[in-house]
Amino acid sequence: MIAVPTFDAELLRRYDRPGPRYTSYPTAPQFRPGFDGHDLERAARDSNDDPIPQRLSLYVHVPFCVSPCFYCGCNRVITRDFSRSAPYVNRLVREAGLLAPLFDRDREVVQLHFGGGTPNFLSPDQLTEVIESLGQHFSFSRDPGRDFSIELDPRTVGPGAIAQLARAGLNRASLGVQDFDPEVQRAVNRIQTEAETLEVIAACRDSGFRSVNVDLIYGLPRQTRDGFARTLDRIVEVRPDRLAVYSYAHLPDLFKAQRQIDEADLPAPEDKLALLALAIERLTAAGYVYVGMDHFALPDDDLARAQSRGDLHRNFMGYTTHANCDLVGLGVSSISHIGATYSQNPRELPAWEAAIDAGRLPVWRGLRLDADDLLRADVIQRLICQGEVDMAAVEDRHGIDFQTYFAPDLARLAELSGDRLVEIDQGLIRATSRGRLLLRIICACFDRYLQQPARMPARYSRAV
Amino acid sequence: MAVNSARLPEAAAGRAHSCSTCAFTNLCRNDGIDENVVAQVEALLVDETSQYAEGQHIFREGDPFDSIAAVRGGTVKTYVLDREGREQVLGFHLPGEVVGLNAIHSQSFPCNALALEPVVLCRFSFRRMSELAALIPDLQSRLFRLLSEDIGKAALLSGDFSADERMAAFLLSLSRRYARRGFSPTRFNLTMPRTDIANYLRLAPETVSRVLRRFRDDGITQIDRRDLRLLDIGRLESLALPVLRH
Repeated sequence: MIAVPTFDAELLRRYDRPGPRYTSYPTAPQFRPGFDGHDLERAARDSNDDPIPQRLSLYVHVPFCVSPCFYCGCNRVITRDFSRSAPYVNRLVREAGLLAPLFDRDREVVQLHFGGGTPNFLSPDQLTEVIESLGQHFSFSRDPGRDFSIELDPRTVGPGAIAQLARAGLNRASLGVQDFDPEVQRAVNRIQTEAETLEVIAACRDSGFRSVNVDLIYGLPRQTRDGFARTLDRIVEVRPDRLAVYSYAHLPDLFKAQRQIDEADLPAPEDKLALLALAIERLTAAGYVYVGMDHFALPDDDLARAQSRGDLHRNFMGYTTHANCDLVGLGVSSISHIGATYSQNPRELPAWEAAIDAGRLPVWRGLRLDADDLLRADVIQRLICQGEVDMAAVEDRHGIDFQTYFAPDLARLAELSGDRLVEIDQGLIRATSRGRLLLRIICACFDRYLQQPARMPARYSRAV
Repeated sequence: MAVNSARLPEAAAGRAHSCSTCAFTNLCRNDGIDENVVAQVEALLVDETSQYAEGQHIFREGDPFDSIAAVRGGTVKTYVLDREGREQVLGFHLPGEVVGLNAIHSQSFPCNALALEPVVLCRFSFRRMSELAALIPDLQSRLFRLLSEDIGKAALLSGDFSADERMAAFLLSLSRRYARRGFSPTRFNLTMPRTDIANYLRLAPETVSRVLRRFRDDGITQIDRRDLRLLDIGRLESLALPVLRH
């Protein structure tokens, strides 16, 4: 069972170094352009050949946003030209037509997620069209436990649209909030009143959405303890089922929009840590369970329950209860994870459009995992989801001797256990309560690609 | 094939280990066969190892039959096409098992053989089997024994059995065959695609998955993609009883 994280400012400061967030292992920078549509087809065929083929999880990326939030590092296209939606939807439908035949019809879709950008840049009618088309091409599960979710921008979606999305089959919503503090909102170019946010939460519930997630960010420009405390209190009052509290990663060289942010406005490292401490304190006091990384959930939420069962998983959409799905990505820049492969669509719209128009699978780059990748992915997945890994179980699954195979990794881990971030006891490697906030640092010990200094990328955000 | 690795040149010595589990080993080893004979048997190997990539044919129906092959590594599927061109899977040949034995009474192969994964084969010239027969007195009866083993596998499929019974018998058969060749009887890879298992057992692919999911949920097996463990052989045996008794 996962320990409640302990906040230790000195420790967090010392370990605040760049590292991957492990929504995949190997991470996306390891994907290579040699992997193409034929490789994807083959991966899908192989996955159909499994005795019990994995069920499917679909991700649909909608890149458009009407205005740039300055903190954002996502792949998006800023436009107010809503006529761009229709051709995008048409191509999504055609992409579904290219992808779906690769998968046997009895492989049910148990998870669908619209991410962005701003998915509700598309009209409710257009989103409904995409869902219906996916439902025709793929076999949607009829299980009420299926997760069909969408990221919503409370500034641009109303109760009518939300009700329509619920009728189209969506049952989970994720709302970007970040901070209610008007000073902060101005500094990040995202003005969003408390009232409109709370209205959207209420509308989701009224329409029958099973769960509502709220995203907050700490470390934003002009953010203060008092302001963030008010945001937390206000949000906790409406009790979203899940909360994500992300660390703002200031990487202006990588993300152009972030150059609009005045570095002088960013909280000093100790202030940023204080914001994290505040979030943990307020949320746990309000009864939220810390799931791991940046995520909190109410104790009776599926995520918290899955974690206590040992059933939690992590993919590009964050934590999920749907273990062992093959992930099929649609839309520009989306990532698929089929069998022992990762693949990604082009990040630029014209390249994605050209492939679809030519009737080709729009694969830009990817990776076939070897036995070492699969083994390390298994270890990292368990650490990041359960906070612990059973070494004997890993040996049994992969046919290795843990101590021998991971000798250099365990040596790296020794530094962390010296600081009591991890303990190794009775065959378990376990993150301590002090290590809970530094899971990515613990996982990084097992990341083979980080041990190649030439490849050590400056493109990863810091740990806290 | 060769059993006395000490007598073999360096390069061949590595082969001795996997050969010890080969079905053909029984043709020439033990039972008081002269050690010199073993060396001569060795010399009769044709093409002694050939490699096949996944998806490559080893022989096709109608090809002239001139050699018997034993699988050294990988899995081989044999199948025929019916008049409508539909495939019928006849069987799967695991490491240590013989392929093409059913051609023994004719001039040509009566079926197709396909490598389901990278396959290494040892080939034995059938023409020169007669020379062998002179060296090994009861070669013919030994071959017949191998042949009847092969036929026994096919009997699994005739008869009116439920999906659960067929699947249980199939898994048990794999388990026993792996055990016979010195591999784990309780943990192995299901190296054949779901559609081939379905075809072989005369079930729909969805049914194959449904039955395996049920076995998993009932604690009879544990399965992670192709990696299969048999947790409760006893229950598999009682499920498979009607088939095995048949």
